[in-house]
Amino acid sequence: MTDDGLRGLLREMREQPLPADSLARVRMRVAQGVQRRRRWKIGAFVLAPVCALAIALALRSPAPPQLRLPGLPPVRVEPAVMRTEPPPVVRRNAVRRKPVARRPAEPPVLIRIETPDPDVVILLVGN
Amino acid sequence: MQATAVIFGAAQVESETFDGIVRRCERQVLGTAFRILGNWADAEDVAQETFLRLHRHGTRFADDAALGAWLYRVTMNLCFDRTRAAKLAVELPELRCPGISAESCVMRDQAKDKLMAALAELPTKERAAVVLREIEGLSTAEVAGILGSSEVTVRSQISKALGRLRLLLSREEI
Repeated sequence: MTDDGLRGLLREMREQPLPADSLARVRMRVAQGVQRRRRWKIGAFVLAPVCALAIALALRSPAPPQLRLPGLPPVRVEPAVMRTEPPPVVRRNAVRRKPVARRPAEPPVLIRIETPDPDVVILLVGN
Repeated sequence: MQATAVIFGAAQVESETFDGIVRRCERQVLGTAFRILGNWADAEDVAQETFLRLHRHGTRFADDAALGAWLYRVTMNLCFDRTRAAKLAVELPELRCPGISAESCVMRDQAKDKLMAALAELPTKERAAVVLREIEGLSTAEVAGILGSSEVTVRSQISKALGRLRLLLSREEI
């Protein structure tokens, strides 16, 4: 077959009639698809505000009752500020100090004051 | 772009309803899908999906050429998806040649049957290029735009495809 013959045959294929039932089926299925899509759209259009309202109602919680004593100004509550201290620095090569030897305990100082009354004596004890 | 405008007529796209576009373009979409896929069932699925995508996309196009190119592109992409997904069965078309004698009509039909079978043997891209350029009558630039390749590639694909078709048809004759 020559090149022109082949091209001519290909062009003829363009003119070939398509089966009418196939075309009708496509048309019908497209119409059904469009209808289905329209129904979805309408459904979404109706349902979207209802859902939004339901969600808004579900999220809305009643406000806690505020107790106020008559004549008293409202108490201002300030948020607590937490202060964090820096972690202690651990010295690895810290020199160990020798434990300091405790001094022997000294005897307490005792001051005796005698008053003119022989029954009354004042004692002062100090370290 | 001229070829597409001829195929799709000169009606204004913007003022046309979706149903009107479907009726006007169904032959091109279904026919192209059938020539690529080789069977009517898959071609109908592709045509349906193409028009539903058009409905989602909206029917506002700058002109008929833009609408035609868009439809061809979507049709081709859907056909490529299908050919990738499954090995398709090729049905031979029922052809009629009005105005020709019965004997030559039969011979012509046989030749077209063989050509359709040979088309199915081509790689998908080459088949698409031949269908769009040689059967649908689009320009090389339009085919390149639809297939997303360069004009040089399209020319090369068509040349290769025609060579293969000639070879396949000559084998059939032997």
